[in-house]
Amino acid sequence: MDLLDLIDTVQSVADGVLFGATYALLGIGFTLIFGVMYKINLAYAAASIGAAYASLLILAGVKAQPILVFLAAAGCGGIIGWLIYLVGFRFIPLANPLATLMSTVGLLLLIDEIIVHTTAGVPLNYPALFADVIIRAGPFNLRGDLLFVFALGCLCMVVLLLMLYRTQLGLATRAVSQQPVAAQLCGISITAVNALTFIVTGFLGGIAGAMIGAAIGMLSPLLSLPLTVKGLIVTVIGGLGSIPGAIIAGLVVGGLENVFQFFRGVSERDLYVMLLLFAFLVFRPRGLFASPHVGD
Amino acid sequence: MDFYIGLAQIIGVHTLLGLSAYCVLLTGQVSLAQAGFFAIGAYVAGMLTVLAQWPLIPALVAAAIVAGAMACAVGFPALRVKGLMLVVATIAFGEAVRLFFFNFTYQLERGELRIGPHGGEGFRQIRYFPEHGWSTLDVMLFIWAVVVMVMALLWWMDRSRAGAVLRAVGDDELAAQSTGINITAVKVSAMTIGGVIAGLGGGLFAHYTTHIEHVQFGVVLATFAIAYPILGGLSSVFGTLMAVVFIQGFLIEGLRFMGDWRNLLFGGLIVLAMNMRPHGLLDAGTLLAVRRLIFRGKERANA
Amino acid sequence: MLKGYAALAALGAIAAFGLAAPASAQERTVKITGFGAKSGVVRVFGINSEAALKAAAEQINNAGGVTLGDGSKAKFVIEFLDDRCNAEEGISVVRRIASTDAFVAVGPTCSNVAESLFGILQKKVGDTSDSGLQFPIIADVAAKGGLAKISEWAFRNVPSEFEMYKSLFAWLKTQHPQLKTIYGGVEKDFAHSNATFGVMKAQAEANGLQILGQGEWLLADTTFSTQVREMRRANADIVAISAHPFTTCGVLKEMDRQGVKPKLLIGLTSSSSIETLQGCAKQAEGIIIPTSFAPVTPEATKAAEQVAKFGGSADLHSAAAYEIMFILKDVIEQQKIMAKPDTVAADRDKMRQGLAALKETNGLLGKVGRTADREAIKPFLYVHAKDGSWQVLYKPAS
Repeated sequence: MDLLDLIDTVQSVADGVLFGATYALLGIGFTLIFGVMYKINLAYAAASIGAAYASLLILAGVKAQPILVFLAAAGCGGIIGWLIYLVGFRFIPLANPLATLMSTVGLLLLIDEIIVHTTAGVPLNYPALFADVIIRAGPFNLRGDLLFVFALGCLCMVVLLLMLYRTQLGLATRAVSQQPVAAQLCGISITAVNALTFIVTGFLGGIAGAMIGAAIGMLSPLLSLPLTVKGLIVTVIGGLGSIPGAIIAGLVVGGLENVFQFFRGVSERDLYVMLLLFAFLVFRPRGLFASPHVGD
Repeated sequence: MDFYIGLAQIIGVHTLLGLSAYCVLLTGQVSLAQAGFFAIGAYVAGMLTVLAQWPLIPALVAAAIVAGAMACAVGFPALRVKGLMLVVATIAFGEAVRLFFFNFTYQLERGELRIGPHGGEGFRQIRYFPEHGWSTLDVMLFIWAVVVMVMALLWWMDRSRAGAVLRAVGDDELAAQSTGINITAVKVSAMTIGGVIAGLGGGLFAHYTTHIEHVQFGVVLATFAIAYPILGGLSSVFGTLMAVVFIQGFLIEGLRFMGDWRNLLFGGLIVLAMNMRPHGLLDAGTLLAVRRLIFRGKERANA
Repeated sequence: MLKGYAALAALGAIAAFGLAAPASAQERTVKITGFGAKSGVVRVFGINSEAALKAAAEQINNAGGVTLGDGSKAKFVIEFLDDRCNAEEGISVVRRIASTDAFVAVGPTCSNVAESLFGILQKKVGDTSDSGLQFPIIADVAAKGGLAKISEWAFRNVPSEFEMYKSLFAWLKTQHPQLKTIYGGVEKDFAHSNATFGVMKAQAEANGLQILGQGEWLLADTTFSTQVREMRRANADIVAISAHPFTTCGVLKEMDRQGVKPKLLIGLTSSSSIETLQGCAKQAEGIIIPTSFAPVTPEATKAAEQVAKFGGSADLHSAAAYEIMFILKDVIEQQKIMAKPDTVAADRDKMRQGLAALKETNGLLGKVGRTADREAIKPFLYVHAKDGSWQVLYKPAS
């Protein structure tokens, strides 16, 4: 392997890791819901993309600054998250994981269809910040917009961790996930905490959707299913219920994906990602960071 | 008339898909890998009838065996993971199978044509049925013969000790283990049976659509596979059948008059169904009520 | 009371006469059912096809309608069914159409649906041992090569990618003889792009171009940095991309980022639509695509306006649907199709015969030839993206 290949490999990894920040955000969303409620929200990735679409719709007539669009996406994400909780989780008995699984599948289909109906399935342009900035570091190129996405993603993660470990809401959330009955006895309302968890992860999902749109430059309904699969894989590799795990797993999967593609081509790339997952399941089933409060 | 017969064909094959997931769900494992076994059954059966010129029934049996063997192989590592991790692992397995067929090319020359699976382009011209003069009705009856056989087997199994053992493992593994049940054997057997049924369904699918390609066997089909037993309720095989009729017959074909709204209602009605009947259309309570209705007058001990 | 009954009877008689009189002058309608994808990412194709069928039907109806076998005139009524780009549903939809009095169906959108659908049709007419469906289907959009060969009841009005790219590369050689190298890009998991890429490569080589390599990606991919980096290294004169708008725009944007500026850009037929311009007009500037529709003739311009009236946009795919309505009208009149409930089987046979016998049909850009294996040879031209719209680059002589 000569120098050119080496440079290419490092570049691939760098590109992949930067894009992996978006996977990390999705992974956090999945893992947080699972950590608190022991349920999967399969509609999460679709909701994130939906929030990004919604932000475009809201600011359709106005030529808004990209930052405003991102904030609109986050807001829409929060609202959609709450709606998903209301329709898919609130009224279904907690002891019925299969029913909520199916209801989130129904919501995934519904959100996808709403997107397709309003946009006729046509890909839409999404604004990006620093799209024209390319940082050249020696033989390597780093995309400015991806760096921004990465930075914003890291910021979100920090804010989320701060929220979980330094605020009352965070305390309540952790309490409910560790000991729901005891938490109730302390006067914490489980439904309120669950709803708020969905709103917060929805917010995060909206930002993730906006970041994905910004990184690709376009939104398309094609995105929801592959992102759901990747998000789930990242969640499992990172360890269910562990936020640092989801972050690292997202970056790792993003980087490795590009490496697989570089060495083995695009037809086999996803096969290797699956093999990576299987390797983790065999050798380290609890993920990178086994979370203390996962009941399994 | 042909239309209804065709619809019955689709309902039959999808019932097989649903039943394969039902088997595995009974033991508490949510498996999104059934589409993968379905795909294996489809390709194997198609290749046997088209490339090796086998008659249909041996080809289907072979397809079922291969799919079952694959399921058995998957069943063992699947034991190590539970819950969400199993869901993701099975999704990943299903995708791996799909990607395998995306890359799989095996063609033979037949005169001036090349036949056989051709990677991304799929496997075309699996025309066993029309070439042998089977009418739509013949195909439908054949499919339903298989479905009835499988349903009868599963229903009988449900009423025997095997069914109780499966459900015991599904309800509470620890308790089941403490009564001496071999969890490994039960779970792997359920997975294998599910694989066999999916293989049969896949083989039939390949023959009545005449063209299969990797895209058809993705996450969406896997999700439909578990949707049928979950929506139908795990209390009885008839629940799965009802769910297939509900989705394929009512939601997809029956709502056609609604035009564009049909697709929106699809997701919406599933959400509604899960909210209103979280244990499925035919849950334990409804089953009991139906039984009482049928066996009205007869003294029945508590179920 | 008797008076009451008498009055009722009188009313009944009058009503009967009243109904009988207009019945003989009642309008006859012929329902043509189209089907295609109105869900998912391909929804726009279904919308456009439906609009085109309705627009063409209105044109025909306004000009008096179609003349049936018994001399009466009938108006076309269009129905469009959604098959969600799913093979099983496509088969179900066609069975549904075939159980009515319909004698032809127009569709599908997706090539994979067409594969399965044509597969369940009777392969050879008159083969009594073949229990396949005997119902003529004419496709407007499904463009994968060689599909109509599958059955003698299958017809298509889609452009031949082979002919278009053969002509394009030959013409480019005359226009730009100094360009010697080419680099390709292909969407590997989509049958249409994959197959057309094979055509592009073959024609490039046939015209003396050296293929320096190819970048590959999947339909839903989002990053192309690795592929474009290889492309940049190869530094070819021409870049040919066989992909649909989503990934075409993705690749073009990445090329823009990495500073890859080939002297010539060639694209896939399906990407000559507004989607590409909406997604990346700036980066797509100059891309050359052969197409079988552009509003360059008076008929084409009128058709584009009419289709827009029905909520769709006219592009090479929906234009095919528009043309099909006129083909159907011609065949109905030539074959004297009766369109009555008791002549259904005969009508279907006549329709198939009529379609098979056609040597030439009227297209919006000129005459369309028909081949022995039921495909179309459509006139085409080359368009290029200029200032945010598709403009005609060159119209080769037919």
